Amino acid sequence: MIDEELDLLEESDLSLLETLDHILARGLVITGEITISVADIDLIFVGLNVLLTSVEKAHEVLRERENRGDSKQETVDSSQ
Amino acid sequence: MPFYAYCLSDEVTDRMIESMAGVAGAGAPQLIQYGGIAAVVSRLEAERVGLTRENVFAHERVVGRVLAHTTPLPFRFGTVVSASQLEGYMNSQREFLQAQLARVRGSVEMSVKVVWNLEAVRREATARNALKGSATEDESGAEPLGLGAAFMLAKRREILGDEALRSEASEIASWLNERLGDAVREMEVRVRPMEALVVAAAHMVLRERMEEYQERLRAARLERPDLHFLTSGPWPPYSFIQARS
Repeated sequence: MIDEELDLLEESDLSLLETLDHILARGLVITGEITISVADIDLIFVGLNVLLTSVEKAHEVLRERENRGDSKQETVDSSQ
Repeated sequence: MPFYAYCLSDEVTDRMIESMAGVAGAGAPQLIQYGGIAAVVSRLEAERVGLTRENVFAHERVVGRVLAHTTPLPFRFGTVVSASQLEGYMNSQREFLQAQLARVRGSVEMSVKVVWNLEAVRREATARNALKGSATEDESGAEPLGLGAAFMLAKRREILGDEALRSEASEIASWLNERLGDAVREMEVRVRPMEALVVAAAHMVLRERMEEYQERLRAARLERPDLHFLTSGPWPPYSFIQARS
Protein backbone atom coordinates (compact mmCIF):
# COMPACT_ATOMS: atom_id res chain seq x y z
CA MET A 1 0.00 0.00 0.00
CA ILE A 2 2.69 2.46 1.07
CA ASP A 3 4.85 1.41 -1.86
CA GLU A 4 1.97 1.96 -4.27
CA GLU A 5 1.24 5.40 -2.83
CA LEU A 6 4.88 6.43 -2.98
CA ASP A 7 5.17 5.13 -6.52
CA LEU A 8 2.40 7.53 -7.51
CA LEU A 9 4.67 10.44 -6.65
CA GLU A 10 6.70 11.45 -9.64
CA GLU A 11 10.44 11.68 -9.34
CA SER A 12 10.30 15.44 -9.92
CA ASP A 13 7.75 15.86 -7.09
CA LEU A 14 9.95 13.92 -4.70
CA SER A 15 12.92 15.97 -5.76
CA LEU A 16 11.00 19.21 -5.10
CA LEU A 17 9.77 17.96 -1.72
CA GLU A 18 13.25 16.89 -0.68
CA THR A 19 14.67 20.21 -1.81
CA LEU A 20 12.00 22.14 0.09
CA ASP A 21 12.62 20.02 3.16
CA HIS A 22 16.26 21.06 3.08
CA ILE A 23 16.26 24.67 1.96
CA LEU A 24 13.21 25.97 3.84
CA ALA A 25 13.83 24.45 7.23
CA ARG A 26 17.58 24.55 7.57
CA GLY A 27 20.64 26.57 6.70
CA LEU A 28 22.28 29.73 7.88
CA VAL A 29 20.00 32.58 8.87
CA ILE A 30 21.28 36.13 9.11
CA THR A 31 18.47 38.35 10.25
CA GLY A 32 16.33 36.11 12.43
CA GLU A 33 13.38 36.24 10.11
CA ILE A 34 12.91 35.55 6.45
CA THR A 35 10.06 36.72 4.26
CA ILE A 36 9.15 34.86 1.13
CA SER A 37 6.05 35.02 -1.00
CA VAL A 38 3.80 32.22 -2.15
CA ALA A 39 1.32 33.10 -4.87
CA ASP A 40 1.84 36.78 -4.04
CA ILE A 41 1.09 36.24 -0.35
CA ASP A 42 3.96 37.20 1.90
CA LEU A 43 4.93 34.54 4.40
CA ILE A 44 7.35 34.98 7.22
CA PHE A 45 9.64 32.66 9.11
CA VAL A 46 9.61 34.00 12.64
CA GLY A 47 12.79 33.47 14.59
CA LEU A 48 15.08 30.61 13.79
CA ASN A 49 12.46 27.92 14.07
CA VAL A 50 10.41 26.67 11.20
CA LEU A 51 7.39 28.68 12.05
CA LEU A 52 5.68 29.71 8.89
CA THR A 53 2.85 32.19 9.00
CA SER A 54 1.47 34.99 6.90
CA VAL A 55 2.81 38.47 7.55
CA GLU A 56 -0.73 39.59 8.22
CA LYS A 57 -1.19 36.91 10.88
CA ALA A 58 2.15 37.72 12.48
CA HIS A 59 1.20 41.39 12.74
CA GLU A 60 -2.20 40.46 14.16
CA VAL A 61 -0.63 38.33 16.88
CA LEU A 62 1.95 41.00 17.68
CA ARG A 63 -0.79 43.64 17.92
CA GLU A 64 -2.84 41.43 20.23
CA ARG A 65 0.20 40.86 22.38
CA GLU A 66 0.88 44.60 22.58
CA ASN A 67 -2.74 45.29 23.49
CA ARG A 68 -2.57 42.74 26.29
CA GLY A 69 0.75 44.12 27.42
CA ASP A 70 1.83 40.52 27.37
CA SER A 71 5.57 40.21 27.77
CA LYS A 72 5.47 36.43 27.63
CA GLN A 73 7.14 34.80 24.62
CA GLU A 74 4.61 33.45 22.21
CA THR A 75 4.96 31.34 19.12
CA VAL A 76 3.09 31.85 15.91
CA ASP A 77 2.25 29.05 13.56
CA SER A 78 0.14 28.45 10.54
CA SER A 79 -2.49 26.59 12.52
CA GLN A 80 -3.53 29.72 14.40
CA MET B 1 19.90 47.22 -3.50
CA PRO B 2 19.73 44.09 -1.29
CA PHE B 3 21.53 40.81 -1.86
CA TYR B 4 20.06 37.37 -2.16
CA ALA B 5 22.45 35.00 -0.33
CA TYR B 6 23.01 31.40 -1.46
CA CYS B 7 25.94 30.09 0.53
CA LEU B 8 29.41 30.85 1.79
CA SER B 9 32.74 29.11 1.59
CA ASP B 10 36.45 29.67 2.11
CA GLU B 11 37.28 27.70 -1.04
CA VAL B 12 34.78 28.94 -3.62
CA THR B 13 36.12 30.72 -6.71
CA ASP B 14 34.52 32.87 -9.40
CA ARG B 15 35.05 30.09 -11.89
CA MET B 16 32.83 27.69 -9.92
CA ILE B 17 29.78 29.92 -10.37
CA GLU B 18 30.40 31.43 -13.79
CA SER B 19 27.52 31.50 -16.29
CA MET B 20 24.98 30.62 -13.61
CA ALA B 21 21.53 32.14 -13.30
CA GLY B 22 20.23 33.18 -9.90
CA VAL B 23 16.72 33.32 -8.49
CA ALA B 24 14.11 35.34 -10.43
CA GLY B 25 14.68 39.08 -10.30
CA ALA B 26 18.27 38.67 -9.17
CA GLY B 27 21.50 39.21 -11.07
CA ALA B 28 24.10 36.56 -11.77
CA PRO B 29 25.66 35.02 -8.66
CA GLN B 30 28.88 36.69 -7.58
CA LEU B 31 31.36 36.46 -4.72
CA ILE B 32 31.92 39.00 -1.99
CA GLN B 33 35.02 38.36 0.09
CA TYR B 34 35.08 38.92 3.85
CA GLY B 35 38.51 38.13 5.24
CA GLY B 36 39.00 34.69 3.76
CA ILE B 37 35.36 33.63 3.55
CA ALA B 38 33.33 34.43 0.44
CA ALA B 39 29.58 34.85 0.31
CA VAL B 40 27.87 33.75 -2.91
CA VAL B 41 25.16 36.33 -3.55
CA SER B 42 23.08 37.99 -6.29
CA ARG B 43 21.90 41.57 -6.39
CA LEU B 44 18.12 41.54 -6.00
CA GLU B 45 15.63 44.08 -7.28
CA ALA B 46 12.90 43.12 -4.80
CA GLU B 47 12.93 42.76 -1.02
CA ARG B 48 11.87 39.12 -1.07
CA VAL B 49 11.72 36.15 -3.36
CA GLY B 50 8.77 34.06 -4.41
CA LEU B 51 8.55 30.45 -3.27
CA THR B 52 8.25 28.99 -6.73
CA ARG B 53 9.56 25.74 -8.16
CA GLU B 54 11.92 27.76 -10.39
CA ASN B 55 13.36 29.78 -7.50
CA VAL B 56 13.72 26.75 -5.25
CA PHE B 57 15.70 24.92 -7.92
CA ALA B 58 17.65 28.07 -8.87
CA HIS B 59 18.79 28.41 -5.23
CA GLU B 60 19.73 24.76 -5.08
CA ARG B 61 21.48 24.83 -8.47
CA VAL B 62 23.81 27.62 -7.36
CA VAL B 63 24.62 25.96 -4.04
CA GLY B 64 24.87 22.59 -5.78
CA ARG B 65 27.40 23.94 -8.27
CA VAL B 66 29.62 25.06 -5.40
CA LEU B 67 29.08 21.71 -3.69
CA ALA B 68 30.41 19.96 -6.79
CA HIS B 69 33.79 21.52 -5.99
CA THR B 70 33.85 22.14 -2.26
CA THR B 71 31.50 22.01 0.73
CA PRO B 72 29.79 25.35 1.37
CA LEU B 73 27.58 26.49 4.23
CA PRO B 74 24.19 27.05 2.61
CA PHE B 75 21.88 29.89 3.55
CA ARG B 76 18.23 29.16 4.15
CA PHE B 77 16.06 29.82 1.12
CA GLY B 78 14.77 33.40 1.03
CA THR B 79 17.74 35.06 2.74
CA VAL B 80 17.67 38.66 1.55
CA VAL B 81 20.02 41.07 3.26
CA SER B 82 21.48 44.52 2.85
CA ALA B 83 25.20 44.94 2.21
CA SER B 84 25.70 46.21 5.76
CA GLN B 85 23.74 43.32 7.32
CA LEU B 86 25.82 40.82 5.38
CA GLU B 87 29.08 42.51 6.28
CA GLY B 88 28.07 42.74 9.94
CA TYR B 89 27.14 39.05 9.99
CA MET B 90 30.31 37.88 8.27
CA ASN B 91 32.51 39.92 10.56
CA SER B 92 30.73 39.17 13.81
CA GLN B 93 30.35 35.45 13.11
CA ARG B 94 33.75 34.81 11.56
CA GLU B 95 34.95 32.32 14.18
CA PHE B 96 31.66 30.46 14.21
CA LEU B 97 31.64 30.24 10.41
CA GLN B 98 35.25 29.09 10.25
CA ALA B 99 34.47 26.36 12.78
CA GLN B 100 31.42 25.27 10.78
CA LEU B 101 33.41 25.18 7.53
CA ALA B 102 36.10 23.08 9.20
CA ARG B 103 33.43 20.74 10.58
CA VAL B 104 31.89 19.97 7.19
CA ARG B 105 35.02 20.15 5.04
CA GLY B 106 35.31 17.29 2.57
CA SER B 107 31.84 16.00 3.43
CA VAL B 108 28.36 16.03 1.97
CA GLU B 109 24.95 15.40 3.46
CA MET B 110 22.94 12.33 2.50
CA SER B 111 19.29 11.94 3.39
CA VAL B 112 17.53 8.68 4.27
CA LYS B 113 13.84 8.62 5.09
CA VAL B 114 12.29 5.35 6.21
CA VAL B 115 8.59 4.81 5.66
CA TRP B 116 6.73 1.98 7.33
CA ASN B 117 3.19 0.79 7.06
CA LEU B 118 2.01 2.40 10.28
CA GLU B 119 -1.45 0.84 10.25
CA ALA B 120 -0.07 -2.67 9.76
CA VAL B 121 2.57 -2.19 12.49
CA ARG B 122 -0.09 -0.80 14.84
CA ARG B 123 -2.45 -3.71 14.11
CA GLU B 124 0.32 -6.22 14.81
CA ALA B 125 1.27 -4.50 18.06
CA THR B 126 -2.37 -4.35 19.18
CA ALA B 127 -2.89 -8.02 18.30
CA ARG B 128 0.20 -9.02 20.27
CA ASN B 129 -0.98 -7.05 23.29
CA ALA B 130 -4.48 -8.48 23.03
CA LEU B 131 -2.99 -11.96 22.91
CA LYS B 132 -0.87 -11.27 25.98
CA GLY B 133 -3.87 -9.74 27.74
CA SER B 134 -6.20 -12.67 27.04
CA ALA B 135 -3.55 -15.15 28.14
CA THR B 136 -3.29 -13.31 31.45
CA GLU B 137 -7.07 -13.17 31.82
CA ASP B 138 -7.39 -16.88 31.05
CA GLU B 139 -4.70 -17.76 33.57
CA SER B 140 -6.34 -15.68 36.27
CA GLY B 141 -9.71 -17.39 35.64
CA ALA B 142 -11.39 -14.10 36.54
CA GLU B 143 -15.06 -13.18 36.05
CA PRO B 144 -16.02 -11.31 32.81
CA LEU B 145 -15.05 -7.63 32.99
CA GLY B 146 -17.46 -4.80 33.67
CA LEU B 147 -17.70 -1.80 31.34
CA GLY B 148 -15.26 0.34 33.32
CA ALA B 149 -12.69 -2.41 33.62
CA ALA B 150 -13.04 -3.28 29.92
CA PHE B 151 -12.45 0.39 29.06
CA MET B 152 -9.35 0.51 31.27
CA LEU B 153 -8.08 -2.70 29.72
CA ALA B 154 -8.57 -1.31 26.19
CA LYS B 155 -6.80 1.88 27.25
CA ARG B 156 -3.95 -0.14 28.67
CA ARG B 157 -3.61 -2.06 25.40
CA GLU B 158 -3.60 1.21 23.47
CA ILE B 159 -0.79 2.56 25.66
CA LEU B 160 1.11 -0.68 25.32
CA GLY B 161 0.58 -0.46 21.56
CA ASP B 162 2.05 3.05 21.48
CA GLU B 163 4.99 1.85 23.54
CA ALA B 164 5.51 -1.02 21.11
CA LEU B 165 5.50 1.44 18.20
CA ARG B 166 8.05 3.65 19.94
CA SER B 167 10.23 0.68 20.67
CA GLU B 168 10.04 -0.65 17.08
CA ALA B 169 10.76 2.81 15.64
CA SER B 170 13.83 3.19 17.85
CA GLU B 171 14.98 -0.26 16.82
CA ILE B 172 14.76 0.71 13.13
CA ALA B 173 16.81 3.87 13.78
CA SER B 174 19.44 1.90 15.73
CA TRP B 175 19.52 -0.85 13.12
CA LEU B 176 20.15 1.69 10.34
CA ASN B 177 22.91 3.43 12.33
CA GLU B 178 24.55 0.11 12.99
CA ARG B 179 24.44 -0.96 9.34
CA LEU B 180 25.98 2.29 8.13
CA GLY B 181 28.59 2.24 10.87
CA ASP B 182 31.57 4.54 10.62
CA ALA B 183 30.86 5.34 6.96
CA VAL B 184 28.82 8.13 8.56
CA ARG B 185 30.81 10.94 10.11
CA GLU B 186 27.91 12.65 11.91
CA MET B 187 24.18 12.16 11.90
CA GLU B 188 20.95 13.92 12.75
CA VAL B 189 18.15 11.43 13.26
CA ARG B 190 14.49 12.12 13.94
CA VAL B 191 12.30 9.20 15.01
CA ARG B 192 8.53 9.57 14.66
CA PRO B 193 6.83 6.39 15.84
CA MET B 194 3.31 7.74 15.31
CA GLU B 195 3.86 8.69 11.68
CA ALA B 196 4.29 6.76 8.43
CA LEU B 197 7.64 8.47 7.93
CA VAL B 198 9.16 6.76 10.92
CA VAL B 199 12.83 7.73 10.63
CA ALA B 200 14.32 10.78 8.94
CA ALA B 201 18.10 10.73 8.99
CA ALA B 202 20.69 13.14 7.66
CA HIS B 203 24.16 11.65 7.36
CA MET B 204 27.37 13.58 6.96
CA VAL B 205 29.61 11.48 4.77
CA LEU B 206 33.18 12.09 3.69
CA ARG B 207 33.36 12.30 -0.09
CA GLU B 208 36.04 9.63 -0.21
CA ARG B 209 33.78 7.21 1.69
CA MET B 210 30.67 7.80 -0.39
CA GLU B 211 30.94 4.54 -2.30
CA GLU B 212 31.24 2.56 0.93
CA TYR B 213 28.28 4.45 2.42
CA GLN B 214 26.11 3.70 -0.62
CA GLU B 215 27.10 0.05 -0.61
CA ARG B 216 26.20 -0.29 3.07
CA LEU B 217 22.89 1.45 2.47
CA ARG B 218 22.09 -0.85 -0.45
CA ALA B 219 22.75 -3.90 1.72
CA ALA B 220 20.58 -2.51 4.52
CA ARG B 221 17.67 -1.89 2.16
CA LEU B 222 17.81 -5.46 0.93
CA GLU B 223 17.69 -6.68 4.49
CA ARG B 224 14.39 -4.92 5.23
CA PRO B 225 11.96 -5.32 2.31
CA ASP B 226 9.13 -4.47 4.72
CA LEU B 227 10.35 -0.86 4.87
CA HIS B 228 10.35 1.75 2.13
CA PHE B 229 13.43 3.93 1.83
CA LEU B 230 13.56 7.39 0.29
CA THR B 231 17.13 8.42 -0.26
CA SER B 232 18.58 11.59 -1.72
CA GLY B 233 21.83 13.47 -1.91
CA PRO B 234 24.47 14.61 -1.97
CA TRP B 235 23.25 17.82 -0.35
CA PRO B 236 25.11 20.74 1.11
CA PRO B 237 25.24 20.20 4.89
CA TYR B 238 21.90 21.92 5.63
CA SER B 239 21.16 19.67 8.60
CA PHE B 240 24.53 20.16 10.26
CA ILE B 241 24.51 23.90 10.56
CA GLN B 242 23.58 25.32 13.87
CA ALA B 243 21.18 28.14 13.06
CA ARG B 244 22.38 31.32 14.69
CA SER B 245 21.87 34.98 13.97
